[in-house]
Amino acid sequence: MSFPTREERSVCWGARDKYWECLDKNGEKEAVTGGPCAEFRKIYEKSCSAQWVKHFDRKRSYLQFKHKIETEGYEINKNSLR
Amino acid sequence: MSGVSSNFLRIISKKFQTSRVSTNLLERRNITLLNYTRNCSTKPPQPKPQKGFVTWKSVATTGILGGGFLAFMLYLKKEKEFAQVQERQRMLGKAAIGGYFELVDSSGKTRTSQDFHGNWLLIYFGFTHCPDICPDELEKMAAVVDNLDKSEDTPKVQPIFISVDPNRDTPEIVGKYCSEFSPRLLGLTGTEQQVAKACKAYRVYFSAGPKDKDSDYIVDHTIIMYLVDPDGEFVDYYGQTRNSEEIADSIKINMLKYGQLHKKSWF
Repeated sequence: MSFPTREERSVCWGARDKYWECLDKNGEKEAVTGGPCAEFRKIYEKSCSAQWVKHFDRKRSYLQFKHKIETEGYEINKNSLR
Repeated sequence: MSGVSSNFLRIISKKFQTSRVSTNLLERRNITLLNYTRNCSTKPPQPKPQKGFVTWKSVATTGILGGGFLAFMLYLKKEKEFAQVQERQRMLGKAAIGGYFELVDSSGKTRTSQDFHGNWLLIYFGFTHCPDICPDELEKMAAVVDNLDKSEDTPKVQPIFISVDPNRDTPEIVGKYCSEFSPRLLGLTGTEQQVAKACKAYRVYFSAGPKDKDSDYIVDHTIIMYLVDPDGEFVDYYGQTRNSEEIADSIKINMLKYGQLHKKSWF
């Protein structure tokens, strides 16, 4: 089982970036069926392997969490302090 | 009467003659005096030359002694600096990173860590199915090597990619993968044991994730580049946050330090 080539990688990354851009523009957390980003999601899933899609989905939520912490700061969970 | 007068005349003329001679003598003496005074102005009577304080001999002696002393001081300074560098390294201690490995290159040939002695190595661990981090890091590594290759006075660095996914990454696949990034990049893989041993030596963590229905999986692993010196010793490491220029600069500095410690000359 060979690896995704350089070309396949760049196609996948391109589709991912377009999908993420759409989500950002529409303020969506993930694509909803019939929503504006559903089509992008379909291309993205076709261009990348299932593992990569899973990986990038997780990466996106991590990046959003990181961005939130960096820009809005964090709230201390009072229950955990007790 | 005529005899007397003639006598008289003879005496007169004789007297006159003597007076003329005397004036002649006087003139001559004047000339010599004049000559003497003229000579005096150009050539004073020369005294015997005396020995001065600064002579060529004393200058040469001082030069040799001073030069020798300066050379000695410079030598002492170098010795002290060398001892300082050594002491600093001793105090920092040596990280228990790196060591012997035995892996297989893309042509199926076994390569051990000893084969690379005498070369600077930049080692990265990864796998060919890596979604984004490995390709990024390998592009960075290729840029670092390009940067170092361009500067003529630095030794060559051998970039090495070691697979942490020996089940999927055969020598051939690893070779093909590496050639996508740089013709200089050497790809190594091996049996599970060989890879595990190499990873253990470099303290690299790797763990294959669960397989999906296509039996595809992602391997979680340490993202670090290791710099190894020509003695096969680990020198420095570079994480994901360092860019290619920072890494290249750090490698150059490490090479300079290594050169200082391994110089085989007095000065």
